[in-house]
Amino acid sequence: MKQLFLIAIRNLVQHRKRSLLLGGAICGVTMLLVFLLSLSSGVRKAMFEAATTIQTGHINVAGFYKVTAGRSAPVVTDYNKVIDVIQKSLPDVEYIVPRGRGWARIVSDTGSIQAGLAGVNLSGEPYLQKVLHLVSGNFSGLNQPGTALIFETQAKKLGVKVGDMIIISSLMPNGTNNTLDLRVAGIAQDVGMFSMFSIFIPQSAINQLYQINENNTGALYVYIKNIQNLPRDMDILRKSLANAGYSLMDSDPRAFWFKFDSVNREDWTGQKLDLTTWEEEISFMKWTLTALDGLTYILTMILLFIIVIGIMNSMWIAINERTREIGTLRAIGMHRRRVMAMFVIEAFTLSAIATFAGAVLGLLVAGILHISHIHIPTGAQVFLMANTLKFSFNFVRVLGGMSLIISATTLISLIPSLRAARLKPVTAMQHK
Amino acid sequence: MENVVSLVKVSKNYVLGKTIVHALQHVSLQIARGDFITIAGPSGSGKTTLLNLIGCVDVATSGQVVINGNDTHDLKERQLTELRLNTIGFIFQSFNLVSVLSVYQNVEFPLLLQGRLSVEERKSRVMDLLKKVGIDNHSKHRPNELSGGQRQRVAIARALVTRPKIVLADEPTANLDSKTGETIIDLMKEMNELEKTTFIFSTHDARVMAHAKTIVNIADGRIVGSMSSPARKIAAKKSPAKKSFGKSEKKSPSRPVKISK
Repeated sequence: MKQLFLIAIRNLVQHRKRSLLLGGAICGVTMLLVFLLSLSSGVRKAMFEAATTIQTGHINVAGFYKVTAGRSAPVVTDYNKVIDVIQKSLPDVEYIVPRGRGWARIVSDTGSIQAGLAGVNLSGEPYLQKVLHLVSGNFSGLNQPGTALIFETQAKKLGVKVGDMIIISSLMPNGTNNTLDLRVAGIAQDVGMFSMFSIFIPQSAINQLYQINENNTGALYVYIKNIQNLPRDMDILRKSLANAGYSLMDSDPRAFWFKFDSVNREDWTGQKLDLTTWEEEISFMKWTLTALDGLTYILTMILLFIIVIGIMNSMWIAINERTREIGTLRAIGMHRRRVMAMFVIEAFTLSAIATFAGAVLGLLVAGILHISHIHIPTGAQVFLMANTLKFSFNFVRVLGGMSLIISATTLISLIPSLRAARLKPVTAMQHK
Repeated sequence: MENVVSLVKVSKNYVLGKTIVHALQHVSLQIARGDFITIAGPSGSGKTTLLNLIGCVDVATSGQVVINGNDTHDLKERQLTELRLNTIGFIFQSFNLVSVLSVYQNVEFPLLLQGRLSVEERKSRVMDLLKKVGIDNHSKHRPNELSGGQRQRVAIARALVTRPKIVLADEPTANLDSKTGETIIDLMKEMNELEKTTFIFSTHDARVMAHAKTIVNIADGRIVGSMSSPARKIAAKKSPAKKSFGKSEKKSPSRPVKISK
């Protein structure tokens, strides 16, 4: 086997022009694949980080509260008891944070926008300050009552800066509008679609706006230590909460906010909890990932097809050139399977070296672009959940991509290799 | 004396379009162990076809080919390959060395295919042979760095490295100048005497034929005559023009050869 590798390497070196051309093509395809996979992983990671800190936890325990059958509010009543049940039933839980929820018009002296309200208690949210990057102000301001943290685009639309006052006005179930004056304590960089529809205010401000008890909140964001355990933990949580006497909504993979219409049509009153995963909460946006993965797949398949044809042609030429050598080797006692292995090893060696080089180059380009913080156009930011291009190295996906290319090129080399192996020694030796 | 090659009424036909070419017709031949035999004849006479059949790289259309006691007709492709690997060594007119391997690696290659010897044993055997053929100081060179004569020495070493019972050489001196060709034939003869290996080679060069213990003449796919050493000595005395020049020939003991047409 060592000798076959030696022959493969030396033949590749001997025909360096052909090897470089073909290896370059494989390298290029791998580079593109790794680049796109890193981009896809980067978007996925950015989406995960943004979604699970701004919009939802790993598990979102939200609640619908209906005073009458036709009207529901996003409230989890007596949430500390719910937290107790979760903590007792889930050994995997890292931490749980209550998040007040509402929907209001934000008004300034020069403009107004519609936005979801997120009532936060910053001391209980370790990751929020890592995901949100302030361009002005500071997080400590948000610990004070009567403050708000908004995003750059919102600040531009409202024409406000840190220290300015804004008014939030929300429609109550009885048809009246409750308002609250807040001071802008911080302005954060945009994080895609979430920054278009959310502002952060202290939990106490939400309670004040909706005149709700401090024991109530909009949702509980549950963070678990190992995200791989999510399906199992969801199952445990549903059973535990049901056993603890809570009414649960039927499992529905739509995001919480999309369920109001159907909930309002249901004939029940009181509290029902709704459990969703982070992926379900942002399912309406996952098409961006699907599209990116789809594009990666289609491009890879087209380019892979081209290099596979290239490999096969190159091997036909090599076999034609080396027919006498094949005949000689068969004559001196080389078995057919070894002749086949000799050519397959050659294709594999070329493919493996080129694929490895392509992966290194792809990661290098992705890394450079990542640290260059290349600004994404505003339209694309909405879907990519970041304001700069983000790449992430996902070992399993990169390895999978490399394996795909190496396997495809090696497998296709079996066809010409088989033909080489089946050559009769006498015919091969007489080849001119 | 034991026969290592036995051909009985062997024919080989090739189909070329609508024409059938009778490359060999009803050839019968027995070759004894340790012989140094040349298949002589003009181009197209069937020398190479005969060697191909003996070398198990081709199969006869009819007749029986027995190599070292194995009837090749009964052997499968895999067994024929094993027979070639373990019983037969090949020397080619164009040397046919693997261009990307060094001299040492080319000679070692059949041993690696056999997979029986350790690294040390292989090294010892290869270096020993390279010394015998006088090419040991070129062991790290690639074939394209050697002269024709040197390459053929490597080919001889490769053919002998597995200690085969038979070595087949198809016009081994055709691509060499006469002096180098003579040296190569001397070397083959030396190996024949040293290793007791049966050498069967084809040629149409009278000077090369002179070194053979036995000459089998072939024309139009048929064996038309044969001569062993004693008979050739008598013939040489009668016809001084045909006197052979090889010194080894004088030392050669006569070998029995049965020829039947």
